[in-house]
Amino acid sequence: MEIIQVLSYGILLGGLYSLLSSGLALIFGVLDIVNVAQGAFLVSGAFLTWQIWDLTGIEPILLIPVVALLWFGLGIIIYRTLFVRVAPQGPSMTVLLSFGLALIIEGALNLIFGNKFKSVQTSYSLQSYKLGEINFPAPQVIASLAAAVVLVLLYLYLMLSWAGRALRATAQNRDGAALIGISHRKISSFAYGLGMATAGAGGVLISVSYPIYPATHYEWISKLLGIIVLGGMGSIPGAIIGSMLLGIVEAAGNTYAPQWTILFFYGVIILSLLFKPEGLLGARSRKDSV
Amino acid sequence: MSNSALTLKNVFAGYGGGMVLQGLDLEVRKGSITCIVGPNGAGKSTVFRVISGLLKASEGDVLLAGESIKSLSPAEILENGVTQVPQSRALFPEMSVKENILMGGYLIRKNPKLLKERMAMVEEMIPIVRERASQPAGHLSGGQRRMVEIARTLILDPSLILMDEPSLGLDPKSVALVSELIKRMTKDGRTVLLIEQNVRLGMYLANDGVVMEAGKVRISAPAKDIAGDPEVASMYLGKTK
Amino acid sequence: MKSLRFTKAKKIAVLFWAILILIPVLLPDSQYEQSLLIVCFLFAIMASGWNILSGLAGYVSLGHSVFLGVGMYTGAILGRETGVFTFYFAPIGMLTAMAFAFLLGSITLRTRSHAFVIITIAILLSVQLIVSNWVELTGGSNGIIFRSPSWARTAGNTPYYYMFLVVLVLTVALVRFIMNARLGAGFISIRDDESKAASIGINTTQYKVIAYCLSAAPYGLVGAIYSQYLGFINPTGSFSILISVYLVLAALVGGKGTLWGPVFGGFFIAFANEASTVFSGGISARVLIMGVVLVFTVMFVPQGLLVSVATMLRKRLAKDKTVEFINQAAIAERDAPLNLNNVKRAPSKAKADSSESILQVKGLYKSFGGVKAVNGVTMDIKRGSITGLIGPNGSGKTTLFNCITGTYGADSGIVIFNGTDITKMQPWTRAHMGMGRTFQITKLFKSMSVLDNLVAPLEKPSARNMLANKMQGEEVERAREILDFMGLSSFEKSNVSALSFGQQKLVEFAQILMLRPDIVMLDEPASGINPTLIERLSKAIKKLNDAGTTFLIVEHNIPLVLGLCDYIHVLSAGEIMVSGTPEEVRNNEAVIEAYLGPDTLLEGLDV
Repeated sequence: MEIIQVLSYGILLGGLYSLLSSGLALIFGVLDIVNVAQGAFLVSGAFLTWQIWDLTGIEPILLIPVVALLWFGLGIIIYRTLFVRVAPQGPSMTVLLSFGLALIIEGALNLIFGNKFKSVQTSYSLQSYKLGEINFPAPQVIASLAAAVVLVLLYLYLMLSWAGRALRATAQNRDGAALIGISHRKISSFAYGLGMATAGAGGVLISVSYPIYPATHYEWISKLLGIIVLGGMGSIPGAIIGSMLLGIVEAAGNTYAPQWTILFFYGVIILSLLFKPEGLLGARSRKDSV
Repeated sequence: MSNSALTLKNVFAGYGGGMVLQGLDLEVRKGSITCIVGPNGAGKSTVFRVISGLLKASEGDVLLAGESIKSLSPAEILENGVTQVPQSRALFPEMSVKENILMGGYLIRKNPKLLKERMAMVEEMIPIVRERASQPAGHLSGGQRRMVEIARTLILDPSLILMDEPSLGLDPKSVALVSELIKRMTKDGRTVLLIEQNVRLGMYLANDGVVMEAGKVRISAPAKDIAGDPEVASMYLGKTK
Repeated sequence: MKSLRFTKAKKIAVLFWAILILIPVLLPDSQYEQSLLIVCFLFAIMASGWNILSGLAGYVSLGHSVFLGVGMYTGAILGRETGVFTFYFAPIGMLTAMAFAFLLGSITLRTRSHAFVIITIAILLSVQLIVSNWVELTGGSNGIIFRSPSWARTAGNTPYYYMFLVVLVLTVALVRFIMNARLGAGFISIRDDESKAASIGINTTQYKVIAYCLSAAPYGLVGAIYSQYLGFINPTGSFSILISVYLVLAALVGGKGTLWGPVFGGFFIAFANEASTVFSGGISARVLIMGVVLVFTVMFVPQGLLVSVATMLRKRLAKDKTVEFINQAAIAERDAPLNLNNVKRAPSKAKADSSESILQVKGLYKSFGGVKAVNGVTMDIKRGSITGLIGPNGSGKTTLFNCITGTYGADSGIVIFNGTDITKMQPWTRAHMGMGRTFQITKLFKSMSVLDNLVAPLEKPSARNMLANKMQGEEVERAREILDFMGLSSFEKSNVSALSFGQQKLVEFAQILMLRPDIVMLDEPASGINPTLIERLSKAIKKLNDAGTTFLIVEHNIPLVLGLCDYIHVLSAGEIMVSGTPEEVRNNEAVIEAYLGPDTLLEGLDV
């Protein structure tokens, strides 16, 4: 029974991680940018949710479209003002730029909200659902379900819309995309905006299921980077597989040896990278083959 | 009035190191298959980069059916009906064949009806598009890929198609199929400009031949004359005794 | 002009150290200033150490402060057990950090780029957790507290000030030594192009582990001192990711890959840190300011402040200089002598029989995905020959080269060189055995001068050779002579990226001669270069061949190949189609078809 409990916790966690890491994978896949500011975008989204909830008492989940849209616009602005100038200097400079952004956001959040843990209290914060002997904490279930819904919407958008197709095309073959008239500049800022929108939606979700604090963006980004490196950097399916795997590892750690959870988490990443440095679904290497 | 699909006048162009094209003059007749040959490093691929707008000519002019396209962006040149089949790696490996071809119509995406008509037209012309519609492009063989690449450019109904070594890496049977398709394309009035290393094959396909050397056109003549020109052979293999 | 600026730089360095040494003497009441400078020293030490691995060798670590923590805890635990001050254990801290780096490096340096960065972070966080949970040894999250030395009351920070300063001087000296040694040239060559470095005899695996160990050493040394200075340590403070962030920031702001950049950056970041604490109260503003500094650096001075300023000054100085005109024709005509001992090894016993093979390839296969690039090649290269390898585009010539030199492992088949089976050997071992190759698109080290590129190859992998100064000894003499022979001596100090493509090809040819190769493999040496340089090249090939060096040449310029080679293999679709003398190949119908197209397609072409 305990195993089933662990697995279901793991899948809930994995569901949330899937959404959070897919934006990071998208940005890397299309732009070749390791966006380490993603954790800060996430945490700032959570703070914005907290602030609106604190002022109005609104059900936070309803804020997903608002925050996501806002973050989408911000992402486009950030790309067009900052990244567009640094991108030609290559991935090592863009990663630093995005790191600088993360620090600025962390500092700003500290100044605005102070160094205190905040958490959103909803009617279901302390509830849990029971299925037989297995316990499901309500906030995790709701966050995970909402993440799944957003992820499915994102998937449909990427598969069926022209913009989504253009994004996938660029990720698979940049020169090929230019050949059929996809403007690299436009599609780049769009991809960055979309990646940031997933962080906005994710921020809403972590605000209901985790205590929030500015410096937690380090923990988030370390986890998410671990996930997408494991999954194969630019691959969204890889990110989802990595999320599920590490979600289960984390849940198992929490159950059997809570003080060693982080070690299990990173241990799995380190070990798997040693044997498969390109990640589980190494998108980069496949791209070269056609 | 003029019968010229494309004219390059005294074009100089190059990269950081120096000028690759050194005053190139080139005329491509409307509805022809024109083939550029020449040894490695003669500047053949650079000619394509200049036509498609990826590289700006520093001197001279590029005219498409009499209008200058020298200062247009690559996307604008594409909209003017100049498409390109590159040497390799043009497709999106994880997308299906059908989606790949649909993506070729990115510029006419706002007109779904037209896109659908063109799709039917392309399917009619190149059967593999229908046969392998749902297969990922990355799983196709080299010859099949080349057919899909050509199909993808046709969906924009181009007036001029640039093809960089269409026979490269293909087995003889695929070369025959691709050659046949190239000939068929010009039947509806399209113009094809191709680069070949393979002189005999290129001249067999083409009506007009152009021999480049060191960034200039050295010979410009009907294809069959070039095929028989001993000077061309010696450029490749050196003087025979 | 140049020597004047050099002494000026030296003067500034002497002045800098003198001021730092004298501050506590001249200003005895400067306890606050000294404590601030201690932080400066600490950041400068860490940034300089990081610079060895990430700046010079190009492997970016974002978890480097793990070695500071290792040094701190080594000192702290030994201090607690023995009852003496932790700084006495600084050397042991250093050795522990280096041993830890050796262990980590041997495992993690198998990965590259993103994966390596993530692993370094993962290791930092994992070690922090282990230290927190291993309560018996480390005191867990409560940490360890030390008693203060009795002199702390009277002498204040001054003894610590000098301890940190000594470590900083040692660290700068270490980095300086590395940068001047062939070892440092090896690190930079790995950063610029790892596979090329391997092909000129640099054991990249070994070099990277050495870089990792050396970069950890200053951390371990200063860590044991730092823990006593703090008086208290705990896992989160000692293995903080924020310290890693700061030290990387310091190196970037100053200019990574330079000697003084990280030192300057360390001071800069320490001051910025202090300023934000004093003027805007606390950690929030500090993080914000660091973020702004980083964004500003990336956007406007991506090379680092020190480097940008230096470039600006150099540009102003260079303004008055006129550009030298180089007469290429004259260079090609000039016939410089070449001492053959400089480009050849002592003749081996096998040399006697010139009809024997130097290189044998048997049944070699290599495919990528579904494409069979090399499809069962067997060939025999005779000692002392010039052998050509021709074939249409995509016929597998370069892949065959890569399998012979070990850039790729072959799927099956064997390669025998000088009688030894080298199929499973690393590229650098093959280079040490006397195999040299150039690349189709030259792979020179872009951040180095022509002369630096020439002394980078490691002919013999001895420790003495690696630690020797790269600009002294017989290597430099040899390099200069080879450059002269190639007609390149006027470019000795130029950066390679300032050279034309053709000149770069000649530099790469010159570079591999430094290996004293028995066989020289050239991949399209004449493509994209002008006739003058082609002539120079053929002359060099002939002269070296007369002296017994074997050549294997891939080339598209068929007239050149036919004129130069004794024997030719024609490759088509991954297989050897025809082999023979130039005369036989020239008149072979199959060869003509491969290049000009099948005859069946067309009638009447008379070649």
